[in-house]
Amino acid sequence: MSNGHAVPAANLAPAEARTPQARELGAMRGFAREIGALSAFRLESCIHCGMCADACHFYIATEDPKYTPIWKVEPFKRAYRREASAFAPLFRLFGLAREFSGEALEQWQHLLYDSCNLCGRCSLICPMGIDVAALIEQARHAMFEAGLAPKELYEKAAHQRRDGQPEDSSEPYRDQLLAIGSRYGVDIPMDRPQAEVMLTVPRTDIEHYPQSVAALARVMAHLGVSCTFRSDGLVAENYGYYAGGKDWQREISRRLIDQALVCGARVLIVPECGHAYTALRWEAADLYGKPLPFAVRHITEYLAEALDAGKLRLRKAAPGATTFHDPCQLVRKGGVTDAPRKLMQAMGVDLREMKNHGGFSFCCGGGGGVLDIERAAPLRYRAMENKLREIDETEAKTFLTSCSDCRRTYDDGKQHFNWDKTPDSLLELVAASLDTTTKEATA
Amino acid sequence: MTEYRDGPTIGETLDQHGVSRRAFLKYCTAMASLLALPPLAGRAMAAQLRAAPRPSVIYLSFQECTGCLESLTRSFSPSIENMIFDIISLDYDDTLMAAAGAQAETARAQAMKDNYGKYIVVIDGSVPVADGGVYNCAGGRSAVDILTEAAEGAAAIVCVGTCSSFGGVPFADPNPTGARPISDLVPDKPIINVSGCPPIPEVITATLMQFVSTGQVPALDAHRRPKVFFGNTIHDRCYRRPFYDQGKFAKTFDDEGARNGWCLFELGCKGPTTYNACATVKWNGGVSFPIESGHPCLGCSEPNFWDGGSFYSALSTPRWGKAGEISRAEAWTAAGGAALAGVALGAASAGMSRLRQRRHEQLGTETPTKES
Amino acid sequence: MDLLNFARGPGLQLALLVFCVGVVWRIAGFVLLRVRRDFNEPRKSLLKAAGGGLVTLGSRSWPHPEFIGRTGAGEALGYAYHLGLFIVVLLFAPHITFLGSLFGVTWPALPNSVITIVSVLTFTLLLAVLFRRLTHRVLRMLSNFDDYFSWFVTTLVIVTGLMATAHLGGPYQTILGLHILSFDLLLIWFPLGKLMHAFYIFPSRAINGALLSRKGAAS
Repeated sequence: MSNGHAVPAANLAPAEARTPQARELGAMRGFAREIGALSAFRLESCIHCGMCADACHFYIATEDPKYTPIWKVEPFKRAYRREASAFAPLFRLFGLAREFSGEALEQWQHLLYDSCNLCGRCSLICPMGIDVAALIEQARHAMFEAGLAPKELYEKAAHQRRDGQPEDSSEPYRDQLLAIGSRYGVDIPMDRPQAEVMLTVPRTDIEHYPQSVAALARVMAHLGVSCTFRSDGLVAENYGYYAGGKDWQREISRRLIDQALVCGARVLIVPECGHAYTALRWEAADLYGKPLPFAVRHITEYLAEALDAGKLRLRKAAPGATTFHDPCQLVRKGGVTDAPRKLMQAMGVDLREMKNHGGFSFCCGGGGGVLDIERAAPLRYRAMENKLREIDETEAKTFLTSCSDCRRTYDDGKQHFNWDKTPDSLLELVAASLDTTTKEATA
Repeated sequence: MTEYRDGPTIGETLDQHGVSRRAFLKYCTAMASLLALPPLAGRAMAAQLRAAPRPSVIYLSFQECTGCLESLTRSFSPSIENMIFDIISLDYDDTLMAAAGAQAETARAQAMKDNYGKYIVVIDGSVPVADGGVYNCAGGRSAVDILTEAAEGAAAIVCVGTCSSFGGVPFADPNPTGARPISDLVPDKPIINVSGCPPIPEVITATLMQFVSTGQVPALDAHRRPKVFFGNTIHDRCYRRPFYDQGKFAKTFDDEGARNGWCLFELGCKGPTTYNACATVKWNGGVSFPIESGHPCLGCSEPNFWDGGSFYSALSTPRWGKAGEISRAEAWTAAGGAALAGVALGAASAGMSRLRQRRHEQLGTETPTKES
Repeated sequence: MDLLNFARGPGLQLALLVFCVGVVWRIAGFVLLRVRRDFNEPRKSLLKAAGGGLVTLGSRSWPHPEFIGRTGAGEALGYAYHLGLFIVVLLFAPHITFLGSLFGVTWPALPNSVITIVSVLTFTLLLAVLFRRLTHRVLRMLSNFDDYFSWFVTTLVIVTGLMATAHLGGPYQTILGLHILSFDLLLIWFPLGKLMHAFYIFPSRAINGALLSRKGAAS
């Protein structure tokens, strides 16, 4: 499919060298595997009205039609018509709705990975009610089957599946966590045989925001709940989810599920990481094939519940005028909308909402694994400009979020644009505002 | 001008019968106005007719009900008596003539022989061709035979009524006698169709008069009907048309709409698709016409009017079955059956898709897609 | 048999048959595909999720305020011609008679002059919609044969209908025959193309909305 725009060549891991024919076959099988009554209904319902383009920040920033969300699943649509629609035999008989060639699919890699944050904003605009983002996620599964996951995501996913962490580290994460604990003077509960709550950590925090790890430990200690990290199930991220490798995603989630079962946890805490929440909260049980015997909660959600129960007592914080970035996977797609606001209110934060906030917030531009894809950076920056403008328009001095991937993206944007704001963590603000005096008094 | 016969002109005959010039002129003027000719045309027509020879007319009746002739005999202007005595020489009409049997047939043969190439054949009724034409015989000869013989020496053929024009009732499905309209059987003569079941009497006489006076076939529509009478639909000339435009309709024959004289479209009126002069010339000397009497137009002057579904179902409604004999309940049952067939087909295609998916999945595990 | 009698007789019967079989076939063809169970813990009860689905069913009828600036005009255009089509299809006396003969109920009609005006407006809007599809870069890229042919059959019915009432282009019964024939064509095309959205729109909104509500997500 050519529309006059240069499409970058495929960005593949060396392990994924395949003939175009093999890709075609892989993609077709991948799409066929993904089709169920629900996805079929979504594919059936599209009326080509093009409105989803107007929800997507990549289209808004570039006005390039190829970034229209539903266009990104065009190969999936065609595969559906050919493989599983009611008239599929006729489509095959008359050679209508031809498969995308291996070469064309390589071009679609750019559309399904580089230019989609899986942010789900398009799913809110569709007049037919189609959950476009859900389709894109499924299309990624087929791309993965065809060996077309981008190099960075593929390799990190493969690594995480093998070793439990997406990249090699100088020291094991377990040791790094314990070191963070001693550096910040908090006790890091590790590998306790029994615990009420199992904690996980974003790899991003270990490397970039150790204070956030300390904040998590400090808050949990304040609540006085029995909790633990498990060295065999530490990393919250799931690169299988980003890459579209469904089986890998299952295996990666499985590590955490198994560890939670070992320590008998009733709650698995997802730290400040958006896609980890989607992967564990909304997808893990489906891949696991049965309901999980424990609850999955995002840390802000958990803390808001504690606040309601009177277990969490917060002092007033005074960070000045503040705005909050709603991480897409948590808020729009995950339903954790009220929890962060409840916490900020309890701390008396002067919240200035952005023009598009809550369920309609724009993505930071780094979601869906895009932050990890090197060649996607220029496009990501273009989409980000609009978001930074919205943040600036609130005239807030403090900028909070509750996802370390969003935070990384803003930190990167800060450097790139010489932006004057620093993304801070809501969790860290909570940890700094714990009302220890009253707790001691009541104790 | 065609010379119809040797012998006295119409003028000579009129004088012989003591018809005054004034009376004849009045009569021609009436005729000219019927034909929508300019005011002075009546004068010209009178002159032309006076000078024209009195043509021989042979009136053949085939598969018909005599309704057309009944209609013709009720013509006010000119009356049939006037026509027969003054303008034409009706040499054969097995219903009207006094003679019968061999005498009648002899008269016809004589007239055809005497006026070969000049006589006019007027026909009502369709001609059955099935089974050798046995379904309509006179004097031991089939209608096909009689028609073929009569048509050979005719100057022109005027088909009176829908049966001879388009087949009419005998032609209606299933048409057991193989009835055919005249135009199907006579390919090489000028034919004028004056359709209607029956046609308006004045339309019949005026068409004949015009042909006699000018000797020419008038302007005809695609169905070979004189445009002057069949150029507009009943609907276009209907005095109830404003109610149609306002969306005011009678729903039953005794509701407020019917009493108020609203449009009869919903009661099955075929006015919109029927070309005839009923709404302007009207019937019984201009007294009324069916719609004026509160009944929808049946569309009797149109081909296949008998096969167009119920007379009482509106034009825009579906015609279930060949003649609208399928009820709504039956149609819905059929739709239900169609839906069941759809479910079966859908289940089959979903089953096929699932099988294909399973095959793809099994093959999928054999290709090295998951291991690096 | 003349065109009109074919169009409202055997032609219509065939078209309705294809319509009934095709619509059900197409829907059953995907409804009977695999349905995966959701094992994740819902945030909202089934009842509340269903309620959320119903809300989405209605709320998606107009863009969220966040989107209006970019899509309001396009959506208004879409609404305008759909509204025109509904008025003409449902409130023109001969159409009511047609529907009445199918369903056994009738309702009051609008005067023909109003219908004519609405038809002309609708036709103009349909031209505008086509122009937009041909010139808008996103729409042009997304469009395929289905989009253009569905536009064509819809517009054909409107145009022949207008010609029939205006007595243009030929004898009334021929144009009326063409009008009904073009409707037959629309019925046959219906299950094959995007016109199916008439059946999909509300269930699709409700189901996707309920699934989002189940998670407490924005919808």
